[in-house]
Amino acid sequence: MSAALALLRIALGGLLLWAGASKIPDMASFAESVANYRIVPAPLVPAAAAAVVGIEIVAGVLLVAGRLARAASLVTALLLAVFTAALGIALLRGIDLRCGCFGGEEAATWGTVARDVVLLAAAVAVFLKGPGRLVPKAEGTLRSGPAAAPRSFPAKSGSPGT
Amino acid sequence: MHPGGGRGAAPGAGGENVRFPGRFPSRPGGSRAIVRSVRLALETASLLLAGTVGGLALNAASPRPAPLSVPIHSAAEAGGGMCAVPGAPAAPRARRIGVEEARGHCEACTAGFVDARSAAEFAAGHVTGAVHLPPVGHPDEAVVIAGLRAHPMVIVYDGDYSCALADEVAARLRREGLPDIRVLQGAWPAWVEAGAPGSAGACPACHAGGGR
Repeated sequence: MSAALALLRIALGGLLLWAGASKIPDMASFAESVANYRIVPAPLVPAAAAAVVGIEIVAGVLLVAGRLARAASLVTALLLAVFTAALGIALLRGIDLRCGCFGGEEAATWGTVARDVVLLAAAVAVFLKGPGRLVPKAEGTLRSGPAAAPRSFPAKSGSPGT
Repeated sequence: MHPGGGRGAAPGAGGENVRFPGRFPSRPGGSRAIVRSVRLALETASLLLAGTVGGLALNAASPRPAPLSVPIHSAAEAGGGMCAVPGAPAAPRARRIGVEEARGHCEACTAGFVDARSAAEFAAGHVTGAVHLPPVGHPDEAVVIAGLRAHPMVIVYDGDYSCALADEVAARLRREGLPDIRVLQGAWPAWVEAGAPGSAGACPACHAGGGR
């Protein structure tokens, strides 16, 4: 479970990193895509586009590295929630637009919305369940030594781990 | 344990609550949750701030940065008119050129300009010296394209920020073998907003025997 969470976190972070990095060569085009969603006022569109790319990259790096994973997964979930809502609203309004997701010409479709929902679920899972560990924690690392010194206080009568 | 148990407990009932009757059992779980929430909020805010600052820096370093001082309107707000040829496959995205650079080419007459919008939109106002060449429906396409071959660079524009018309015409011109074709970034609204040279009227050079 822990390793699965870690893999999910790394995959999500890698995807986010790719999404951010692929937009850098043509930020002007991504800003046009952001404008077409019509949720950001025109004067703020270029700065918002730049911020989205930077936040994607920072959150992606943190998720891959497993540092500040709770905050990174929270930000990722918020970002994906906004993307999903914006895409869904645009499609419902019949606005034909480029998704702007990975810096290319990909059109926004309900498939894009579904993909965002899956990613959103992954981000929520990492936020709620924690970053996980690729390598399980070695038994006894919390104790003072390999001999597992006896506890100085009486163990609880209840079964451990419940 | 009952919260009031410390104060009211009988002597000898046992434990610290008897020796320190004013002291309630602490609730480390609650305070830890608050600390965790505050820490998460601070980390989230720092991440957003770092991302925003980093994003602005990356934008500045981008070969095609988003112009921070120029408002970018959606295609729908930028103006009416047809924005794509119905049923046509999407044209590849042509290389863009910024308004200021294009304006330099316009003033120095070092590039040919092509207006991909409708004839009515062209007549209402266009880049000075531009020829009218929509993606479909032009009666004398060959004349216009022959005239464009004289220019080392051709700049195509249409009516909207995300219009497909300019890209379609650019793809057409590339198939004709023209060497350097760009699409005006921000299209006609950006040109107008920049106060770059424009004129109105029909296009005599766009038709056989029209003006050349």
